[in-house]
Amino acid sequence: MEQAQGNPTGSGLHQLNITVECAHLRSNALLKPTPYVELTVDDRSTVKTETVKTTTQPKWNETFTLLVTPHSRINFAVKDHNNFRKDTIIGEQRLELFQLLSIFNGRCDNIDLTLDLMFENKQTDSPVKVGELICCLKGLNIDMSGYLRANGSMPLAQSNSEGAHGRPVLNGVRAKQRSQGTENVMPSSSRVSMERGVAPLNALPAPQPMPMSPSSASIANGNIGPPATVPNGNIAQSETEETRADLEPLPPGWEMRFDTYGRRYYVDHNTRSTSWERPQPLPPGWEMRRDPRGRVYYVDHNTRTTTWQRPNSERLQHYQQWQGQRQHIVQQGNQRFLYPQHQQGPIAGPSTLADEDDGLGPLPAGWERRVQPEGRVYFVNHKNRTTQWEDPRTQGQEISEIDELPLPPGWEIRYTEDNKRYFVDHNTKTTTFEDPRPGAPKGPKGVYGVPRAYERSFKWKISQFRFLCQSNALPSHIKIQVSRQTLFEDSFHTIMRLPAYELRRRLYIIFKGEEGLDYGGVSREWFFLVSHEALNPMYCLFEYANKNNYSLQINPASYVNPEHLTYFKFIGRFIAMALYHGRFIYSGFTMPFYKRMLGKKLVMKDIESIDPEFYNSLVWIKENSIDECGLELYYSVDFEVLGQVVHHELKKNGDKERVTEENKEEYLALMTEWRMTRGIEQQTQAFLDGFNEVVPIEWLKYFDERELELLLCGMQEIDVEDWQRHTIYRHYTRSSKPVVWFWQFVKQSDNEKRARLLQFVTGTCRVPVGGFAELMGSNGPQRFCIEKVGKESWLPRSHTCFNRLDLPPYKSYEQLVEKLTYAIEETDTFGQE
Amino acid sequence: MAATRRLQKELGDIRNSGLKSFRDIQVDESNILTWQGLIVPDNPPYNKGAFKIEINFPAEYPFKPPKINFKTKIYHPNIDEKGQVCLPIISAENWKPATKTDQVIQALVALVNEPEPEHPLRGDLAEEYLKDKKKFTKNAEEYTKKHSEKRPAD
Repeated sequence: MEQAQGNPTGSGLHQLNITVECAHLRSNALLKPTPYVELTVDDRSTVKTETVKTTTQPKWNETFTLLVTPHSRINFAVKDHNNFRKDTIIGEQRLELFQLLSIFNGRCDNIDLTLDLMFENKQTDSPVKVGELICCLKGLNIDMSGYLRANGSMPLAQSNSEGAHGRPVLNGVRAKQRSQGTENVMPSSSRVSMERGVAPLNALPAPQPMPMSPSSASIANGNIGPPATVPNGNIAQSETEETRADLEPLPPGWEMRFDTYGRRYYVDHNTRSTSWERPQPLPPGWEMRRDPRGRVYYVDHNTRTTTWQRPNSERLQHYQQWQGQRQHIVQQGNQRFLYPQHQQGPIAGPSTLADEDDGLGPLPAGWERRVQPEGRVYFVNHKNRTTQWEDPRTQGQEISEIDELPLPPGWEIRYTEDNKRYFVDHNTKTTTFEDPRPGAPKGPKGVYGVPRAYERSFKWKISQFRFLCQSNALPSHIKIQVSRQTLFEDSFHTIMRLPAYELRRRLYIIFKGEEGLDYGGVSREWFFLVSHEALNPMYCLFEYANKNNYSLQINPASYVNPEHLTYFKFIGRFIAMALYHGRFIYSGFTMPFYKRMLGKKLVMKDIESIDPEFYNSLVWIKENSIDECGLELYYSVDFEVLGQVVHHELKKNGDKERVTEENKEEYLALMTEWRMTRGIEQQTQAFLDGFNEVVPIEWLKYFDERELELLLCGMQEIDVEDWQRHTIYRHYTRSSKPVVWFWQFVKQSDNEKRARLLQFVTGTCRVPVGGFAELMGSNGPQRFCIEKVGKESWLPRSHTCFNRLDLPPYKSYEQLVEKLTYAIEETDTFGQE
Repeated sequence: MAATRRLQKELGDIRNSGLKSFRDIQVDESNILTWQGLIVPDNPPYNKGAFKIEINFPAEYPFKPPKINFKTKIYHPNIDEKGQVCLPIISAENWKPATKTDQVIQALVALVNEPEPEHPLRGDLAEEYLKDKKKFTKNAEEYTKKHSEKRPAD
């Protein structure tokens, strides 16, 4: 073989096991044949089966080990044995091994082959099918990557030459991966047996016995056209890649077609979808399978997981990134807290060391104060075997005890619109946020070093929420036993199997094979790990919003997982459990998602953080007179998900109603609502349903969206020097007065206020693991930026997709503090617009 | 489709305007989101040839800008080997839903005729353009002769 010699890898011999199973022969002769099979590799070595006497349905079940190269041709000839004359050929078929290897990505293991047996009639000169031969190939596993580059052109050239005879190579040979039901008859090499050990669905089970709405993923009418638009528009790029990739075979079930422009596109008959991008062969260790309902999924034998979406390089890269975060998870978990443990800011007063005599008196009975190895204080409640960071003497109790005391005469308690409590002194006709009763902590800052009024507010909200949780607690506990290898699945099954209210019992998490009582530490870890798992890009449930700020949003393409709604319900339950049990999750959601949870109306500004381009266009329409500029807009809109264009009318007969200057406000409102919900409504509802079952969503009504993020993710120490070091300025310099004041303000703020400032500017309270140097914006790395904008009477504004703060040139430190505080405490976005 | 009416109107307007510098506009009736056409520059060194481009409109047009690709190879500081072109009028920051495709095409023709080496996509060509204009012109002419499409007769 010329080609094989030209290529060093091609000359390597491999063992291939072929089991010749049976044949079905058409018989039109009077006498039945006595058939046997002769296998010839590359016209050289030949092996034969035994003969089976006088039958058209011979069964041999004989296995041969052949030495082959990836380019071998194997000839299968079924012959009729005759004791007196020369044996005659009944029919034959030739297999080009390379074609088969290309299709199965180098792995011929349990491949069922059905070969059409052809007989060339000398008179008619056209081959006739005379029967079928069934074989099974095993044990061949070749890394194809080298072959594809090196001799990509070879197999095609061969098939062309065959094609000249009117018989393309794979015509007459049908191959498929043997289904699982028959696998037990297989002899198993060690590798094979290892894979048999894989539970068929490790990560996301395809065949869930859950009642599910029928999958919307399949294309209803089976009309598969080219993808609607060109992703990224980089046709030129993909074509240059294609010239190289052209000659690589497509994965099984894929077909290349051309649209009316002669552009290539690819049809995946497995999932009935199309794509502009040429499918890459599955990475090593991956395999495509079908579940009992015929749906395609992909098995990653490397990690023993499965996914619904075909892995491509981008997805694998995301996966690797995601995996890379794992090592930080536990470390991050230990850094999160809700109340600062050591006081920050100007009154860097007594640190934890002074806690022995902190004036709060002894701990309640059954409580114990402990210190973690790294010096962090926590509290153990031996009565119900829980632990917490918060000091039980100040958590919740403080307010209720004091509240029972009467106010001094002439005083009254009132609440501001956003539920901040304040006190009216009718004697002097003044108001104050400070509680006048004896015993209430005094001073401008409370025990946590945060301003009294604000601490009252957030802390009060938390204590109200905790009170609701505690008063609805159930006795006893539930055990959730999980294995670290199948954490997400195990957690999913346990949590969905239980009635939702049971999830309010105390949690007792057990990692299989790991000793230890769950006094809180284990469940803390469990919440962190599971919340990170939910992000696994292979699950397709969530995606990073706008590629930037580490916040999650529901992936509109999540329906590729037919069970996605059940999973969203699970995650809803899980998130509610985290809030209920006072645990933190690894990564939070987008601000618009929290607003949605709180039932707040989403406004145009909310779009900016998830789709700035779209937002800018809406703003343009809002700010300009549109009647004269030929926008040709109607009350309808399209968007694309997984190559399909979804059309939507914003109102009845919207396709016929034009947008004008007069009605554009209505249009913008409808567009805003649509943009924030498109493709994710069902999922959001499933999430909320799951959430509501565990924690009534009304319990959250105390919080705004930023507080909700803090409550769910906790705070972390923010390194102000790192922040300052990696901040850039526009129209300001490092030494401009407002900039100097800004940093003075940050340094004097406590962690919670810093977190809110970060939320205001970057959309999340969290800082990348690598610090502020790694802050991301919508177009990649984007440093924290302070820009001089506007006049001193303006409020600061922010652009979360660019991590930018528009800071007006204030005239004094006090003015800056007042305006900035107002902007970051206010959440109704007018400070943001 | 939401973008269809807008694009149909724009397409009609462009065809009626009889632009000399952009012709042979081909649009498949079944997919108005993709246009092809021929850029016919006036200035040397590109005035000896014509260049096929493709314009791809997103489903969310006009809320998101179209993308342009050269299908004919061109020796130009602002157009890379893959045919990608950096055109400020359709960048994310500058895009306005009122921007019309004929404005985009005029901006593109102007860029082809007058390269902007200050904002290059191909640094090597920009450098040559600035440092040795003669050599650049000669190279670009040869390249045009070799790779470009035939100019329409009229």
